[in-house]
Amino acid sequence: MDKHVSTRRIFLQRGLTVLAAAPTIPAFLDQTVMALANPLDSHSTQQASGTDGKILVVVQLAGGNDGLSTVVPYADDAYHRARPAIGHDAKTVLKINDYIGLHPNLTAFKSLYDSGHLGIIQGVGYPNPNRSHFRSTDIWTSAQPEKAQASSGWVGRYFDNTCTGSDPHVGVAIGGQLPLAMQGERIRPLSFERPESYKYNGKDVAHYLELNKAESEQVASAAPVKPSPSNLYKPAQKKVEPITETDQLDFLHRTAMDAQVSSDEILRMTRGTGHQSGGAYGRDSFANSLQTVAAMIRGGLPTRVYYVSMGGFDTHAGERGRHDTLMKQMSDGIGAFWTDLKKNGCDDRVLMMTFSEFGRRVQQNASGGTDHGAAAPMFVIGNSIKQGVIGKHPSLTDLDQGDLKYNVDFRSVYASILQNWLETPSKPILGQQFPILPVVKA
Amino acid sequence: MAKLHPMLQPYTPSDDSPWNWEKAAHLLNRAGFGGTAEEIQRVLDDGPDKSVDRLLDFPDAPADEESESDTPDLSDVEGYGKSFRDVAKKFAGKTEEEKKELRKELQRKNAEAIQATVGWWMRRMATGPYPLQEKLTLLWHGHFTTSARDERSARLMWRQNEVLRRNAAGNFLQYVRQISRDPAMLDYLNNQENRKAHPNENYARELMELFTLGIGNYTETDIKQSARAFTGWAHDGDDFIYRKFDHDQGQKTFMGQTGNFDGDDIIAIIFQNPAMSRYITGKLLIWFAYENPEPDINDNLAAAFKEGNWELRPILRTILTSKAFYSDKAIGAQIKSPVQLVVGTTRMLGVDSTRARGLVGGALQQMGQVPFAPPNVKGWPGGRMWISTSTLFVRYNTAVYLAGGAVLPQVDPGKLAKFIGRDKGRSQPVNFDPPTTGSPESVVDHWVALLIQRPIDDDKRKILIDAIGDRVTERSVKDVVQLIVSMPDYQLC
Repeated sequence: MDKHVSTRRIFLQRGLTVLAAAPTIPAFLDQTVMALANPLDSHSTQQASGTDGKILVVVQLAGGNDGLSTVVPYADDAYHRARPAIGHDAKTVLKINDYIGLHPNLTAFKSLYDSGHLGIIQGVGYPNPNRSHFRSTDIWTSAQPEKAQASSGWVGRYFDNTCTGSDPHVGVAIGGQLPLAMQGERIRPLSFERPESYKYNGKDVAHYLELNKAESEQVASAAPVKPSPSNLYKPAQKKVEPITETDQLDFLHRTAMDAQVSSDEILRMTRGTGHQSGGAYGRDSFANSLQTVAAMIRGGLPTRVYYVSMGGFDTHAGERGRHDTLMKQMSDGIGAFWTDLKKNGCDDRVLMMTFSEFGRRVQQNASGGTDHGAAAPMFVIGNSIKQGVIGKHPSLTDLDQGDLKYNVDFRSVYASILQNWLETPSKPILGQQFPILPVVKA
Repeated sequence: MAKLHPMLQPYTPSDDSPWNWEKAAHLLNRAGFGGTAEEIQRVLDDGPDKSVDRLLDFPDAPADEESESDTPDLSDVEGYGKSFRDVAKKFAGKTEEEKKELRKELQRKNAEAIQATVGWWMRRMATGPYPLQEKLTLLWHGHFTTSARDERSARLMWRQNEVLRRNAAGNFLQYVRQISRDPAMLDYLNNQENRKAHPNENYARELMELFTLGIGNYTETDIKQSARAFTGWAHDGDDFIYRKFDHDQGQKTFMGQTGNFDGDDIIAIIFQNPAMSRYITGKLLIWFAYENPEPDINDNLAAAFKEGNWELRPILRTILTSKAFYSDKAIGAQIKSPVQLVVGTTRMLGVDSTRARGLVGGALQQMGQVPFAPPNVKGWPGGRMWISTSTLFVRYNTAVYLAGGAVLPQVDPGKLAKFIGRDKGRSQPVNFDPPTTGSPESVVDHWVALLIQRPIDDDKRKILIDAIGDRVTERSVKDVVQLIVSMPDYQLC
């Protein structure tokens, strides 16, 4: 079976001989090989592994998911007063305790909760909440609310800080554009809408490959660079000399090789996934994305963080029907994903978290919907999470401009996952030390 | 006048460095979006001097002053009228209350109106009368960045685009004064909320950090004092207004000078700082010539910029005629921006890109450059940041598509659709019908000269000839053109 053999592994098994002999070694691979050969290999770096490394899957609920209709405080009179037309009653919610229950369509979430694999963090937010989709998304994804215009995301800075070389596989985002969360200052993870679109579309692939292969002499000139902590872990130093056409061509050939190798791998892993996967995925695009991610995990892609998003949560009007459908898609998709992982023995390696840029106003509006709000719950899912409810549910009467006040800073959740799951110090990534929550089992 | 640096002295053709196809094409790539065979030939015949003069000969005026009909076509956008000119007529004679109502109504189809404006601009880049003016407008759009996100009004975005066009090669001091009064800018950088009682520092900060001085050439106190001077600079939904009662009339101490300064005073003081000229000429050198320009060359150019009272046109002329511009460091060493790649490919292949509707919403987004949607206030970083394994495939596939190849997959425009608008139609196959005369060798040489415009490795030439096979047919020519635009060499200009 070759399905567990990652691209990187193929090259690593052949070791440094590949570097010396192969005329077409891609840029990220030779750096990786050098990193392994380097006795100074720092303890702070993490070699991504296709088969045993820990994986984080980030799920973004774009548009501002209504937290109060997701984790419902069904026993609170204030909830029913604020939501007479769109509220869920005690009879239909999937009860977690005598105060909160899950949205009636979150049946897969409820099973995950009951089997000890789902945690709920209540009232997550940040100081001075912003109610613009764009701004608040930037705040959540950059984790730098003080920066008016952030240029990197929290996951991207994790890559910058802990991953050697420039292997773009460390992060894979499903979507047309790389989300800010995944953007590093140095590392540029992969992003594609569908695996089929991450490939060359031209007809004459054989000649295309010949025209794009890296020149042997170009690799030879790059190889003698002595690996040292300074050239491996720092962002590539800016050349002082102007860059010539030859430098640029060399760079482009290497990137083209990187692209081709990873495209082959990803296509191989995801081809015909419907038959291999053990999960009964729906046909919506969110389920599709998760199915692709599961195939890549199963295939052993050396990826540390996957990023999937689901849109449509901006429910200003007619919330009930739409939000109910979204809850079903979210829960069924994630349920199928975990069934798939479990069936294929990959579930121990994965932790999933959900977030949205904000929750919604406590009081329903006149259009049977809700407007932009603030604090909301997050979910963490996996075999290693600590089951239960973390944090106090925000008061429904002590509000900030009509919105829930947060109890948990979202950066505390990130810090807990970074430290206790991805096993890396969170302070260099988040700028300060946030309190660690019992998200991951001790 | 101080003496120009030797590398800024005019390039004169010599036996070592003859005036040739490669250099003529280089001029058209950098001072525009790439030349067709006829355009390159004309530049070759005219020589560098006359060609640069011709390229720089455009009016310092926006498109709609030049030609009444040259405005975005909004006729497909429900409730808008034929053009922004029509929209302006709707506002005439209305009360404030009615205007507000009308604005709200227009806002409903704002995203579509922005999409139409982006389409208009890109067509102007590809087929408009003044390619250098559009190239500069794109440069300034990434410099004086404003994004259409947060549902910024399409009308204000279009008007700002015209301000960028009017000032593209004009006087930089006047330019900064005008952009500081531009409604879309005041909106984007929150100067609308900059009031005496609650100063908002956003515009004051970016004015220095990104628009004029560059980071490290001012203090946090300078920002605070400058923000006070810009209090009350606002807009009323259409035009700049000075809100007297929001303006801080007190004394401000800015960069060592004290007075009851307003925004123009601040700009005047900034212009006395030598860092300003260096920052701008450095940017122009990178944009037109090459990355990491030598400090002595840039210092020299900055001095000339200051001596010339910050007129941009003479500086542009100096760069585009210089030895540095025609040196090996410059030619073929720039990674094409996505817009350059798309507009250039349509020009060089002579294809009609109106069928390629999916480009704006899909491919350009995935390549990382949608006009009116820069990623943040710093604009597009450019250079190697354009290239990742993901973007490289999209770049290749987009060029292949424009050369009559596989239709680009439709991509969910996601949150982009909120402010750029959803493409109404799917991309259609592009009609590209190349002639089929000549030998395989001559076909390859012809298309390499047209598309890459520089010599390529002999090995690559052989691969291309091999790809054509024995017979030159329409099919085989098309295939080889698609291969040429999928070469690393084609990513450069």
